Amino acid sequence: MSVASPADMEHYYQNCYPFPAIFSWLNRQNESKRNDLKDNCIRTREFAMAFRSGAYKRYNSVSTLPEFKEMVVKFNPDRFEIGAMYNKPPKDREILMKSELVAKSKELVFDIDMDDYDAFRTCCQGAQVCDKCWKFITLAIEVINVALKDDFGFHDMIWVYSGRRGAHCWCNDERAMQLTDMQRRNVLDYLNVIRDRSLSKRLALKRPYHPHLLRSLNMLKPYFMEFILEEQDPWRNDNDALKTLLPNLSDKNLTDALTKYWVSDEPNRSSLDKWNDIDEFASNLKFNSPQRRKDFMYRLKDWKEDIVLLILYPKLDIEVTRQLIHLLKAPFCIHPATGNVCVPIEPSTFTPDKAPKVSTILEEFNNNNSNDRSSKSLQPFIDYFQDHVTNFNNDFNKKRKLDSIEVKTEIKTETKVE
Amino acid sequence: MFRQNKRRIASRRNFDSYESNTDSLNDNKVILTSNNPEEEKRLYDTIYSSKLSFYEQQPQGEITLEQFETWAIARLKILLEIESGISRNKNLSEIETLIKPQFQKFLPLNSDNFIDKKKDYYSHYILRLCFCRTKELREKFIRAETFLFKIRFQMLTSSDQIKFVQSLNLPLLQFISDQEKTKLSKELYQTVSPQLQFQLNLVDEQQKQNYFHGEKFIKLPFENVIEMVGNRSVFLKDGYAYLPQFQQLNLIANEFANQLQEQLIKTFQYLPRLNEDDRLVPILNHLSSGYTISDFNQNSNHYGNNDEGDINAESVWSENISKHYPLSVRNLFKGLKENHHLRYYGRQQLSLFLKGIGLSADESMKFWTKAFTSGGHITLDKFNKEYRYNFRHNYGLEGNRINYKPWDCKTILSKPRPGRGDFHGCPFRDWGADKLTVELAKMGLTKTQITSVLDSCEKGEYIVANTKVFEYTHTFSGNESEKNGLTLMDHPNLYFERSRQLEKK
Repeated sequence: MSVASPADMEHYYQNCYPFPAIFSWLNRQNESKRNDLKDNCIRTREFAMAFRSGAYKRYNSVSTLPEFKEMVVKFNPDRFEIGAMYNKPPKDREILMKSELVAKSKELVFDIDMDDYDAFRTCCQGAQVCDKCWKFITLAIEVINVALKDDFGFHDMIWVYSGRRGAHCWCNDERAMQLTDMQRRNVLDYLNVIRDRSLSKRLALKRPYHPHLLRSLNMLKPYFMEFILEEQDPWRNDNDALKTLLPNLSDKNLTDALTKYWVSDEPNRSSLDKWNDIDEFASNLKFNSPQRRKDFMYRLKDWKEDIVLLILYPKLDIEVTRQLIHLLKAPFCIHPATGNVCVPIEPSTFTPDKAPKVSTILEEFNNNNSNDRSSKSLQPFIDYFQDHVTNFNNDFNKKRKLDSIEVKTEIKTETKVE
Repeated sequence: MFRQNKRRIASRRNFDSYESNTDSLNDNKVILTSNNPEEEKRLYDTIYSSKLSFYEQQPQGEITLEQFETWAIARLKILLEIESGISRNKNLSEIETLIKPQFQKFLPLNSDNFIDKKKDYYSHYILRLCFCRTKELREKFIRAETFLFKIRFQMLTSSDQIKFVQSLNLPLLQFISDQEKTKLSKELYQTVSPQLQFQLNLVDEQQKQNYFHGEKFIKLPFENVIEMVGNRSVFLKDGYAYLPQFQQLNLIANEFANQLQEQLIKTFQYLPRLNEDDRLVPILNHLSSGYTISDFNQNSNHYGNNDEGDINAESVWSENISKHYPLSVRNLFKGLKENHHLRYYGRQQLSLFLKGIGLSADESMKFWTKAFTSGGHITLDKFNKEYRYNFRHNYGLEGNRINYKPWDCKTILSKPRPGRGDFHGCPFRDWGADKLTVELAKMGLTKTQITSVLDSCEKGEYIVANTKVFEYTHTFSGNESEKNGLTLMDHPNLYFERSRQLEKK
């Protein structure tokens, strides 16, 4: 494990961290304004510093790019986090009345963590992650991306590796930025299908599936056989099969027969075999009438579909998304335990081993001659991020112009007076 | 009420000045005048021409003090009934059945009777005065009034409904073209099909298709029907929600709630101008206090009174005390005992509960220190560094110094659900039937009793389930009246206090 020393961190912030890119990303609303109207909207953005000691300093803010860099280098935190934009600069909090500082807007953010997949993940456990189980995250990102684009009409999302075993999504559309807490909670509820993570209850989703669920199922189903049943094989252990597979079939005759078969008759069958056993045993059940049998087969199909979603549907960490004032680790920070850089990712191709490590970057930097300040392994990620920001800003400008021409339907957002 | 005549002129004058202050706020809307009864009658006829109102213009007529009080109480009774329905997790149509008989008695509005209309209008405004003062009161009032509004809307004939919706003139009610509907028909049908079944009781596939065929859809930015986004009951595309017309009530009711919210805050800001009146204020205070009688949280005397002096860091583990804990608290204790640790939500839920039963801040520190450090994996040093602040914070000894209240069931249910290794939450919601059966059997419930509890859980009536457990595990000394008077156990601390009280008797 390559954990960075305080001196390494300072060196990284001083020489490698892409402050300009992050700054223009956070300050983008400004880029579109005429020069004389610019009033650095970054001034009101909250930054929080997390230190090695566990101390956490909230309500920092800056106005310019040099100040931004200076602040981070001076504090030299383990990692720093990005929060909401307030009505006033958060650093003035000390001299303001508490009620005077109100959070106004922030990116809509999501957090997916591998922890939540542990019940169905056999290649790694806990903090570990490999190319195999990263597929859980890749699929999750795909499902969330499509929903944000097609359903909510958001376009500007960027996903960032969390440094160990998860990913963060930053959704930058102006409309997403303006969502209130209540609206964020509901967007989250819409996307958060697997709410109960204890696996002690059946999912029991309503039929027919909402179009979002049906689309998600269709996206995920093709991976179920190969990725889950064959590669992860989560139910080879008979006890696990009883605990995480059978509760999802709510027919006592069927589960009793399967329990007996798997535990006493043929222990240690593969997940694929067990999955097929379900159909096999179901077809042997006795029914009073053909209609009953038909109904049962429909329900069995429903249960199996629910299981696919239960395992593969994105499991979101809800706290991060719910609140406007919640902070999230900034892109390009170093994960304190792994030394990985939290790089922005191209979801379809990224795997955790592609994330550069801070030790490599510092080494590259030391080997370079003094004129060349770039790091070979970090630069592609900075370029990717910079491209995203530039594209976004261009789109943003175009849209601004359009908006001023045609009068759009006014979107009312609730303002809570309290 | 005796001074009615004597104070009449003075009160009139004050009332006028109050209103001239408010009307400037009210976007120059027409104000009801009471100069002559005929005119007044005509006004109310216009307001209620579609038999329902958004209560947009404040009344300016004159009513007697007695009317003031009795009308308000009548409306309050209805709202309380609704509130209790909501807390039992009843849905709209169930509450409607509950309320309908009460309407005739307290708040009839189906006739053309002018006084009924006036009563409805005034009582709404009087209660605004009562319930504008705190955030909790406002939220409760808005919730109940919006529900009342929904029920009444549903009681209208469909032609009256259309008339009413048109009278509102909401810009958001834009229907999509037939082409757009055809293009999206598959998705739209998938979305509304479960609702057709559960809300309109259309079971047959053909019936549903027919209904869908004739239904119109409204397209609007998803933010405007955000609750329906959360429970996935609208179809979303490119940032727009597609709302079937039979669900438009949700949209209208939202609008109603938003307007009421705004108005209540304005009323609150203007309330001090009413302070001239020593006749109205007592009535208002009385009315709003009656509203929260079932609210355990509001009444700080009800908890935290360690009368016996027997609640301390040791005794909370003892059988003597712990037999009064509801299931959720037992579960937290179990988790704490096994792991010598609880995660954040578990710590909050339990520590505030214990605070509620009268565990002092000092005793609380003793309790948590011991519970956490006795497992061997958390040192005293680590505890002091990482957890101490948290517990002291709950007692208002750190940070913002807020005196946090114990969580009621509603709060507990609103928190994130427990994952593996979590012990917070509500067992009636979070546990499977098997685990509940085992645990309830341990508490001494019979098979039929357990089935009845599981029944409530299945319906999502978790508070009712909890109340049932309370009833089954306590004897009521044969005194049925006591049992009938039982309130819903919607607060773990209420459960505890009642249980101890019963024991003393």
